[in-house]
Amino acid sequence: MMDGALLSWLLAGIPLLGALGSLLFWPNADRLKFFSILWSAVSCASIIGFAGYLAMPPEGFLPLYLLPLTAVISLLAQPVHDDYRQSYIMTLVCLGLGLIVLTCPPLMGNLALALLLVLVASLLYRHHSALWPMSWWGIGTYSLGALCALLAVAVDPPVSSVASLVTCAVLLPLVPFHDGHLTALTRLPGNLPAFVVVLLPIAGLHELPHVLPTVPDVVAWTVSFFALLGALYGAVKALAQSRVRLLLAYGSLSFFSMLWWFVAATRTATPRAALMAGTVGLATSGLLIAWQVVRTRYGDDIDPQAVSGLASGMPQYAVLLSLLALAAMGLPPFGVFAGFMGLLLNAPFPSTLGLFITLLAWLAASWYIMQMVQRLLYGTRRQELRYTDVLKTELASLVMAVLVLLALGLAPATLFAPAHTGAETVSAKESSTWNR
Amino acid sequence: MTFTLLVPLLLLVATGLVLIGSDRSRHARAKIAAYPIGVAFLAAVTTLFQVATEGPIALQFYDLSSVGTFAIPIGFYIDRLSAVMMTLITGVSVIIYTYSIGYMYQDAHARRYLAMICLTDFVLICMVASSNLMMLFLFWQVLSYLLYVLAHNHAHAGTLTGAFKTFTVLRVADTAFLAGIALAYQLYGTLEFQDLFLRAAEARINLPLGFGMEVSGATAVTVLFFVGAMGKSAQFPIHFWLPGSLFAPTPVHALLHAGIINAGGFLINRLAPLFALSSTTLHVAFVIGTLTAFLGATMMLAQNDIKKTLGFSTIGQMGYMIMECGLGAFSLAVFHLIAHGLFKATVFLNCGNVIHKARHEPHFPHIDHQREEEGLSRMTWVTGCVTSLLIPLFILLLTHGVLRIPLLESQGTVIFLFFIWITSSQAILTLTRLRQVASWKVSAAMLMTLLFIVFVYLFAVESFTAFLYPDPDEVASFFKAADLPDWLFDFIILAATILMIASWSYLYMTAHGRTVRIPRWIDNLRIRLYLPFMNRLYADELHQLLGDSLMRLVHQFDKRERGWSQ
Repeated sequence: MMDGALLSWLLAGIPLLGALGSLLFWPNADRLKFFSILWSAVSCASIIGFAGYLAMPPEGFLPLYLLPLTAVISLLAQPVHDDYRQSYIMTLVCLGLGLIVLTCPPLMGNLALALLLVLVASLLYRHHSALWPMSWWGIGTYSLGALCALLAVAVDPPVSSVASLVTCAVLLPLVPFHDGHLTALTRLPGNLPAFVVVLLPIAGLHELPHVLPTVPDVVAWTVSFFALLGALYGAVKALAQSRVRLLLAYGSLSFFSMLWWFVAATRTATPRAALMAGTVGLATSGLLIAWQVVRTRYGDDIDPQAVSGLASGMPQYAVLLSLLALAAMGLPPFGVFAGFMGLLLNAPFPSTLGLFITLLAWLAASWYIMQMVQRLLYGTRRQELRYTDVLKTELASLVMAVLVLLALGLAPATLFAPAHTGAETVSAKESSTWNR
Repeated sequence: MTFTLLVPLLLLVATGLVLIGSDRSRHARAKIAAYPIGVAFLAAVTTLFQVATEGPIALQFYDLSSVGTFAIPIGFYIDRLSAVMMTLITGVSVIIYTYSIGYMYQDAHARRYLAMICLTDFVLICMVASSNLMMLFLFWQVLSYLLYVLAHNHAHAGTLTGAFKTFTVLRVADTAFLAGIALAYQLYGTLEFQDLFLRAAEARINLPLGFGMEVSGATAVTVLFFVGAMGKSAQFPIHFWLPGSLFAPTPVHALLHAGIINAGGFLINRLAPLFALSSTTLHVAFVIGTLTAFLGATMMLAQNDIKKTLGFSTIGQMGYMIMECGLGAFSLAVFHLIAHGLFKATVFLNCGNVIHKARHEPHFPHIDHQREEEGLSRMTWVTGCVTSLLIPLFILLLTHGVLRIPLLESQGTVIFLFFIWITSSQAILTLTRLRQVASWKVSAAMLMTLLFIVFVYLFAVESFTAFLYPDPDEVASFFKAADLPDWLFDFIILAATILMIASWSYLYMTAHGRTVRIPRWIDNLRIRLYLPFMNRLYADELHQLLGDSLMRLVHQFDKRERGWSQ
């Protein structure tokens, strides 16, 4: 039997080794992309094979399976171009670091986390443009996150707990530390936004069960407050957006904030929380990929208002985009709905007002996402646009995203965390908690 | 059990048949797909027979004790209510689908449309057969989306706006439904229907509202469910999505008005034992239902478009149905929704032809005012008066005096009798429009109508109620819970009676060319109200205004806030 620690390093080492090996294919973008996909798939297979030998984290194994799968999905849809070579390799590096965070002991996990945040911040710095001064806020937030991750290792509680909490708030976006999330989703190159939207929140969620039980009540209440504020703020901002990536960034912020509210109430990260985090990330990732398909055809700076009538010209794309939108707005039978319902039914409501705000934010998603989809897919067919339906790799990527979301919506929550029976239900006796 | 599973599966098969295959064979496949739907109907009839003779069928594909771990527990619980609904849905589906094959023959999106019809039927069947609230909610939501897709025409701006409005308005109601589910689970720890009813009846929980006020758990949960039902059943004030979706192909409306819109009524009936625990919710349902019935019927009279007229007629009927639920007459509501579903499906399937014909013949439908009689004949008048006023009075005295049914103590019996009277009077009043027909024929039709309605109601009251709810105590408990204060009940009965008699008097006087002295302010009011009712009480404009104001606020916030969107 292989030692657990050794296995963790092995699982994390596969994508890192792949990143190193892929440098050999640097001159050929096509081969580099293929190699990256291959290594991500190998990483996925190795995790499926060996995850059972690892100690199970409180949130279950779902995040572990989801990471390499998202890497494959995001890489598949990315068009081949020399400019994207860096993002192919960085996907493998980030995957490796993410796996260290999820499988290694806390000390190594925190160091990997700091490294991951520094890596993302430097990528943002490299792609910084004077036209986007706001990206400094994102770079700053990720730098703060990295600093706090290191601080959490260096100092004792309660400072370390608060530092860890800040790191988690940067990773799993929570107002007012959400600028990093917005910057990453809008400014990172190539397929990286579609990957980090799953990677970083999952990494943040993984840290939470260690942090939340140690923070004082007042901090937990503050987190709850900011979570509700973030849910509403994200939804309102998403409603106002016309740019797709920004809309998705704010929309996902709203959903991640809902997750924060439930997690702050239970003070732990359950497999249901992981399901919510993973599926919100994956649905957003799928929509980012779908938007990438449009950008590939009509240019990077295409105005969404200038695109319409895709449903008649690109029927396969239209069906897949609609399904991803349904998943992203939390409709059944997709994973986001399953995660949301799992949390809604199994977490005690800290307040009625909180529940109301959460449901309001959930409802708002129907507006902004449906509006975006309707604007793109329907309306008149434009003469100036050439309608080309999805290519094979794009199709494979989007289909995979939809199928995974569907499977996660229908699979029992215990599938990825057999130790959790999920029997905790709030019975009539404990009903007073409803309006506490 | 096999027959039961066949019903949804065959509808899925039909969807697959329509959807998968080459374009050349699409017409052939569309025709073949009608057979699985037909077989599904037969399987539903068999299920109904089986349920009626052997009791409810329960199929669970999950462990009851671990329902919390399954996000979406899939299982069927088919009792008589579910079986009746399954038979209705599949029966109507057979007719609508068969009709649609020809109607949509040359449409470019026929394949998508036919597949969606089959899929909607599948979703409806799964919804009515759900064994728990979570599964019901799942299919409820999918239904909201399918409605959006069905009411869709890619290139038509009006349709797109209507479809978006339909989706968003239904989502508002769905959110209330979701809140109800979450609250029910928090309070009672289960979403299984039978367990939920038992636990809710046992655990009388009060929830603090603040300022020293409390609300019972059952009331809080059922009010939220009721708001969910209001959305699907187009109840005032969230009714305006229904007229907005009227651009969709005619058969879609047949399905919508015969099947989908009944979802709200079904939900209330499914949860009848829970609703019976809260008099407050039933009274709210009664008020909302009455208001919707009144406004729907009034707006219907002021419309100048056949589809909108029928749409508002449906809103009125749905209000009537919800009102019946609010009065505790749950079985009557189910009977009503079945009858209305069959009637509206027929009317909508025909209205396409009427519109088509009217486009070709500008003088269609013919209105020949010259040949119409000036007034009612004495015979028609006497028959109408006797059948709608004297015979009901005789029945009332007979019931009270000879049969010794304590009418003053039983609102339920009065409600049934009153509904018989209102319905028959309404039908008889309608018959007075047949003026170019011989008087004896109109009189005979009036008598036949009265007999028909009385017997149908007797069937509904006796057989159908006993069929749906075999336990008479349960039926009595529904009426008991819905009991209105005596003064209010008497007032409503009296007001409706006066209204009915006034209608007859007005009809008689106008038919005989006599001047009806109506105060000027009433006349002015009538004229002033006509415009708002014709414009559907400006509900669409208000919705638009609300949406615009909200978006203006959102954009103002967005501009003021230093963020990424600047």
